[in-house]
Formats: sequence, C-alpha cells, structure tokens
Amino acid sequence: MAQRIQNSLLPSLSSSTSTTSSLSRFSNTCTSSSLLPLPQPASRSFSTSGCRQTRLRRTMFNWLEGKGAELKHHVPGELNYLTHTNKPFPLNEQYRSEPILSEALRNEIYDRVIRKKQSVRGVSVEFGVDMRRVGAVVRLVELENRMRDQGKSLALPYARAVHEMVPTTPYVEGDRIRHESINDLPVHRLTDPQIFYPVSESREFNRFDAGRAFSAAPALPHKITSEMKEQPDETIRKITQGLSPIETVGKREDEQQVLLPADARIPHPHMIVNDRNRLTIGKTEPKEVRQRYRERLAQESERDQYRKDRIQQHLERTTQKVEPENSRFEFRFRDVVVSRETTGPTGRGHLAPGRRYGIPSYDRKKGEVKIPTRVDV
Amino acid sequence: MRNRATISLKKPKVRQSWSKYNLYSLSTQRDPFFSARTFFQQKWTAKSMLRAYHGEQVSEKQWQRMFSPRARSVVPMNTFSLAEDDGSAMSAGRGSGLEKPAQTETTSEDSRKPRLHGKWKEERNTPYTHMTFAPLERRLDTAIFRAMFASSARQARQFVVHGAVTVNGKPMRHPGYLLNPGDMFQVDPERVMYATGAPKDKVERRQGRVARKKASEARAAEEAAEEAAAAEEAKEEATKEEDPTKKESPRETLKALMAQAKAIMASSKDALPAKRKQQLRGFQKAVRRVLSRSENSTVLTANLEEQFSELTTLLKAKRAETKPAKKEKKEGQEVEGQKAETVEAEAKNNESSAAESTEKSESEDAAQKKDESGAVTTQLSEAFRQAIENPEKEVDTSELTDEEFEVLRRALIQMRDNPIDSTKPYATPWRPRDYMSAFATIPRYLEVNHNICAAVYLRHPVARPGFAEVPSPFGEHLMTPAFLWYLRRR
Repeated sequence: MAQRIQNSLLPSLSSSTSTTSSLSRFSNTCTSSSLLPLPQPASRSFSTSGCRQTRLRRTMFNWLEGKGAELKHHVPGELNYLTHTNKPFPLNEQYRSEPILSEALRNEIYDRVIRKKQSVRGVSVEFGVDMRRVGAVVRLVELENRMRDQGKSLALPYARAVHEMVPTTPYVEGDRIRHESINDLPVHRLTDPQIFYPVSESREFNRFDAGRAFSAAPALPHKITSEMKEQPDETIRKITQGLSPIETVGKREDEQQVLLPADARIPHPHMIVNDRNRLTIGKTEPKEVRQRYRERLAQESERDQYRKDRIQQHLERTTQKVEPENSRFEFRFRDVVVSRETTGPTGRGHLAPGRRYGIPSYDRKKGEVKIPTRVDV
Repeated sequence: MRNRATISLKKPKVRQSWSKYNLYSLSTQRDPFFSARTFFQQKWTAKSMLRAYHGEQVSEKQWQRMFSPRARSVVPMNTFSLAEDDGSAMSAGRGSGLEKPAQTETTSEDSRKPRLHGKWKEERNTPYTHMTFAPLERRLDTAIFRAMFASSARQARQFVVHGAVTVNGKPMRHPGYLLNPGDMFQVDPERVMYATGAPKDKVERRQGRVARKKASEARAAEEAAEEAAAAEEAKEEATKEEDPTKKESPRETLKALMAQAKAIMASSKDALPAKRKQQLRGFQKAVRRVLSRSENSTVLTANLEEQFSELTTLLKAKRAETKPAKKEKKEGQEVEGQKAETVEAEAKNNESSAAESTEKSESEDAAQKKDESGAVTTQLSEAFRQAIENPEKEVDTSELTDEEFEVLRRALIQMRDNPIDSTKPYATPWRPRDYMSAFATIPRYLEVNHNICAAVYLRHPVARPGFAEVPSPFGEHLMTPAFLWYLRRR
C-alpha cells in the first residue's frame, strides 16, 4: 500500500504518490491500514509517527465497512433503512415511510379519469386515493405523455431505482387496495378549547349541536332539529352541495360560519349515506343500495360540474377581453374592487390594489417578502 | 451563500443530505441527556440540534418569522361509524366511564376513534410538536429535496438558483418560494440523474474528456468529408463484424447472448460496477454483431421492438415461431399492456432523435422508417398468430424458456433506457448513488412522478393520530423543547 502524506501542502515524498489527495483515496488507504492490527505505517520514510487518522474517523469508516455496508446498495423491493423497519429515522417513532403510487396504479388512475371519463370522486373512493392526488396524477401523467411526444429525455433508470427503494401501493385488478385514508377531517381551530356545555338530560345532543356549541351559536328550535334528525342525509346533502347556505354568527369582522358536523366536512359525505343504506336495507336489498350509490355519485359529479361552470361564467362575465388587430395577445381586464372585503378589517388586505390613505405600505421594509407568492399559469 | 452544513465527527449533526457522513451521524444519533440541565439549556440544545437539520440554509430570524404555533392536523374518519350514530349516545355519557371501549363496542360510538376490523383502535396521540418545522416544508428547495430530486437541501437550492427548476411551467429562481397547494414543480431530469446517480470515477472522467475532445475535433472537420467517412466506416465495420459471426451457429450466439443478458439482469448487491459495465458492453457488442447480419441497416438505430424482433428472427430462424408464441400467450396482456405505451413512446423518441442526428435527411426517411417498423411489427404479430394456431410445428423447445426470453427483452430495454454515455456528468449506465436507499422516503403531501422529475405539492403537511408527516430524524424528546423555544417569543 502506497504511503501518503497527509498534509497536501508538503511536497509528496512517498514512493508512488499521485498528486491527488482526494478525500476518498486518503480515507481508503488509511482505513485499510487501520484495520490491520499491525503497527501503523509511518507517514514518512524516517518517521515513527502513525497515520494521522483520528479515532473518530477510524470508527466511522469501520462502521461504514461493517454494519453500514448493507445500506450501501438496495435490494429491489425491500426497504433498506437503518432501523430495518419502515421508519427511516431511528429516533423518530412518529414518522414512517408511507407507500407511494406504483406506476401501474398511476396509469390506471389516469386511464379511468381521462379515457373512461369516470369522475374523480368515484375513482378516489375506488382506489382509496385522495381526490387532490387523483388530480395531480392526471396532471403529471399528462405532462409525461407530452414530454415523451416531444422526445425529451426522461429519467427512467432513476425512476425505477426510486420505486425499488420506496414502498409502493400496487395495482391489482379487482382487489380493493386502499392507498390512504380519504376521509380526513381537518381539525378546526374552534374545537381546540375544551368547552363545558350543560345540556338537559332529555335532549339529544348530536354532532350538529356540538358544532353550534363550539362556534357559540344559539341552539336551534326543537322543530328544526327534529326535522333534521328525520332526514340526516338530505340535510347534509343540501349543505355539501351548496343548496342551503351555511349559517353565520357574529358581526362584521367577527362574523364566521357555524361549525358544521364532521358528516358535512369530510371530503366524501356520500359514503356516509351509502353506509347508512347498507346498515338499514343492505341485507335485504343490496342491489338497491348499489343503485342509490351510483345515482348519488352521478348527482355529485353533476353538481361539481355545475359549480365549475358557474365560476367560469362569473369569470367571463366580469372580464373584458380585448384583442387588438395584428396582435399575438389578448388583454383581459377585470374591474378593481376596493371594499371592506378586499381591504380587510385592517385596511391592509392585499386583494385590493393601490395605496390607501393613512395606511403605509411596508413593501420596502426589511424582511417583507419580495419573492412571488404564487405562480399562475 | 457559505455552506455551513459541514459534518463534524466530534459534534455530529444530522443534515438534510444523503452523504455517508450524514448516515453515520444518523446512526450514532442519541437523545441528549436532559435531566441534569436547566429548562433553558434543554430548549437551547434541542432547537440548535433541530435547526441543523430543518432549514439550515434559512437564517434564524427568517425562520422565526415563519414559525406558527398552530399545527395543522387531521383525524381520519370512519364513515361507517358516522352512519351508525349521530354522536348523541356519546354526549349522553352512555358507555363511558370505567368500562373499556373494546367491551362496549356497540353502545358507545366515538366518531373520532375509527374502528379497525370491529375492534377499537388504541388511542394514539397526535404529535403536534412534530409539526414545528412544517412551515419550512413549503419552501421550494426543501420540497425538491423531499421529492428525492436532489441529494441534499443545499443541492436543491443550487438547482433552483441555477435555473433548473420550474414552478407551474415557469422558471423559478427563488429557493425560498413558498409552494401553494396544487403547485407543480419540475427539475431538469439531467440534473436529477446527476444528483442522485453515482459519480464518475477517474477512468470515466477521462473517457468523458476524450469523448468531448473527439467531438470537438469532429466538429472542426469538414462536414461533407466527415459524412462520407462515417458512411464508409460504418460499411467497413459492418463487413468486418459480419465475418466472424457468420461462422457461429445462431443457437450458440443466442446461448451466449442469453448468458450475458442474465448476468446483466442479475441484481447482486455487491456487483462491481466496472465488471457490470464490462458485461453490458459485451452484451451491447454481441447484440450489435447479431443485428449487423440483417439486411436492414436501420435496425441498429431504430426502436427496441424492431431490434427485438430482428434478434429473434435472426437467431432462430428455424424455431422463431414457437418461443414467442408462448410468451405472447402467457404475458400477452401484462407485458404488452405495460410496455406497449413505453415502447410506443420510445419509438417516437428514437425516431425523433434519429431525425435530429441526421438533420439533412429528408422526411422521406422517417416515413420509410415508420413503414418499416410497422411492417416488422405486423410480421411479428403474424408470426405469433401462426404459432398460436399450430404450436406443435416445431418441438425444439428445450433450448429457451419464456423467462429467458423475458430476460433478453428486459436486458435490451435496460440497455436502451440506461445507455453508456461518457458525455454525461454521472457514471453511466446510471445507478443510484451509494447509501441513497437509507434516506429514500417520500412524504404524502407530495405526489411525485419520477420519470419526468416533476411533483405536485398537494397540501400542507399535517399531523394525524400517531403520525406526523414532516420527515425529521428527531423524536418527541427534542421536538417538544424546540417547539417551546420558538413559542417563547410569541
């Protein structure tokens, strides 16, 4: 083994040194020598001092060559973490490596949504994939196809390697494998405090009432609650499909919507209806349950489409489009609104443009964010 | 910006990096001994350790401005339990008390506690303090690192600054850009391959230099002369290569090819890259030699499907029909379904790239090529059909199994997708860098497409019972004091 001078400033003295003093080579020579129980080789011909490898470095390279060697390369399809579990970080018990969508599942989702024209909601329920993720998958696969068409270079070996290292959710035809929980209820700020709310024993206090208690709204009269109790599905459907307005409490700045029950706030309220049908008539009329589910799903997607169209129409109504002659561009103008809604309670709201009297603009102040806050296409 | 993210062995700090030094720090990481220290010391130690990992490139003041004491969290709901009960039973207090929930399965219903297979799940706390550094996960550079497009957060930052990253299709040069839910970011695939691939060794670097030099020399030479020379050389080579192969019997060549393909596909953990590369080169050479026998000169440059069909027809002219037939039968749906798309797309790719390389060649060539490939595939499919109709035509099936065919096919695919190219800044054929798998994890708030190195930031990271989405090497023992440290000023 060639002996090496540690200090790169010194001229090289040993017999077969190349001038490279790169870290890896240096470490290699030193570790390999340090592994031997023999007396350490001298760094210079007439010196008795050993290789100047610190103890810590030695232990590190010993570990990398011993225990850590199995982490160097992965075995396809197996997790290769320090802990030998699905937790990549030994000290953090609260984090685990969760599966990502496999290539097959991703392509299947794209196929369902784009070619078979199935609704995002239905696909989301079927595969147990979040609706936002379904949308993202469609966007990404679309981009991938476009890039392939344009003949751009892709990172295929890299993608394969990553999918070998990370757990993936496979696609098995006919098998209902759930990717993630799709009915996540965001914890609302109003539910943080613990409230002691006395209720008479004779009264049924359900999730609707709990929401009202949290947002300090007065209890509803018995007549309405009994009606709601009779038709829980219809009540929730009206709220989630935007047919009945959400009640508000408070005045002016403090005005806020009454907290709705979890039934209305989860992404797939129609699944509750389906489960309720299954509980009541599922054993006797399973066909009917399925039929109702299909109808409801169609209704939901129709309603979603209607909402989208409304937004689009509103946008078109409020925008004025001008396309000058011999121009590549179309100019779109929208009316500026400076009102209480856009300026906000402090008057500093960024939705309203322009300077406002008595309200200094802090855009030159130190620490103000000057990088873009959003990228619109 | 000076890189302070050094790794010292005396005071090991875990960083957002895939280096082996960092892996060693991670393996030696222990929770600090807090009982003999003051509360202030505990908080200080914790936050300094955590900040070495979370947003080390962000100044403390900047981070303090980003910090929010309110952590986002969600509770996964079970629609079945929501349908069963409207919550009134629980508020009435029935079933609560000393009884264990497992026994009072039907009486008390708590919507917050989803059931698993009819049993009550064990109550798990939501790790709110693990979400302390969640606001930093919105940063573009951190998201790139989390999506596994860069080997460290610093490198991700460099990619952004150097203009290799787009957000929603527009170039974004601010590493501190805070992603909004729904934003799509994309990194140049070449950079990602460089960042995540094994580095070149000395010999490969030299090869790259030589290749570059040659390329520049070639460019300097006269174009016409060069073209003519290239054509001549190609012809000469073809003739040269033809001679030795003619002597070999097709069966033997095929056997040799299979052996090489198998060696390539063998995924041994400690295969020496140099040796592997030799194998690959040999295989490539063998394939080329076989293909050079064909009259069709475009096969070498043309797409994979064509190459494969050509190979099969050339090698076993006698029993070409029986083997692919089996394969077709068995894996017809799977293989074709999976690969048809990629192959088609690749065909397009290859055609386009070929068109680029021979810029002057007319569009006729491309059209011809298309026609040819179409003819070949139809030929092949016809052969398949014939073979399916009368599979007992040739019984010489002991030579090759379907798996072997599949291996050959896969080796060809790998060779095409992952070619040897000394002009690349990473070791070719591409392989993941050492110790990458120990850090490989992708959080759920990102949806990543690794083929195109693009990802969508779906939503902000959230905590859920027993699980926090922010990837962090630190446990509760450090997270809570660090959270309290930042809470102090608010």
